[in-house]
Amino acid sequence: MVRIKNRYIAVQIVPFTPTQSLRLNDNSLAKILLQNVEKYHGVYGLGMIEQGFRVKYINDRTKIAIIRCLHRGQRFVSSILPLITLIGDVRAKFRTLYIGATIIQCNKFIVKHQKQFLDRAMGQITSAKERQDLFKRVMELDMDR
Amino acid sequence: MSGYQYLDVKLKLRDPDSVTLTPVFLCGCILNSLASIFGEIGGQTALEIVKFSSSQKRSIFRVPEAFLERVRIAISLIGYYQEEPCHFQVLSTSRKPLDFEEPDAEFIAFN
Repeated sequence: MVRIKNRYIAVQIVPFTPTQSLRLNDNSLAKILLQNVEKYHGVYGLGMIEQGFRVKYINDRTKIAIIRCLHRGQRFVSSILPLITLIGDVRAKFRTLYIGATIIQCNKFIVKHQKQFLDRAMGQITSAKERQDLFKRVMELDMDR
Repeated sequence: MSGYQYLDVKLKLRDPDSVTLTPVFLCGCILNSLASIFGEIGGQTALEIVKFSSSQKRSIFRVPEAFLERVRIAISLIGYYQEEPCHFQVLSTSRKPLDFEEPDAEFIAFN
């Protein structure tokens, strides 16, 4: 038996105009990604990644998602991410943050990334309440799915 | 620098009279198949038509060597030419320029 190797891609969705929520769930994001893979890599590319492809985690507020795909199809997914300009009906782009082999490593990276973002953002906020709100909003990570 | 490969391709139709066979349509048919199977990134190649014979339904294509595999896959998977069931037969592939057997048969040559 050979172990099935997965790759987890952590991406950040950057909307063209700043919005509170993207109104996206994991299924619709997966559908959009698969459509784009078919557009750029054809039926062959779609067939290579379809098995094991899943959006494991998406956070509407922090706009961070984790995509799982097979190790051998990783190239097909990561190569189309910079080419996507329209997510659903919102103008947005993907920023690939990290590609890891386990979801735990991905999670660790996201926590680190969000902490760095907090460090930068905290300096500009004066009131303690706003700081607490920002902290809550940025560090919102529920990995129950 | 990799060279080119030449493909000798024959089109076999169920009803040969119901279609208009021109070199451009034939080339477009293969390019469409390439685009649908390998997409916008993988399916872009310099597929050139070298010779075309409408009476024999044969044509000679030239492709970069790196794309030979993909072009052969795309050619094999074509099932329709102008909504008419068909299949393609690759008679031969070669690194040297190919030609039709009968030298006096009519054909169109492209350069």
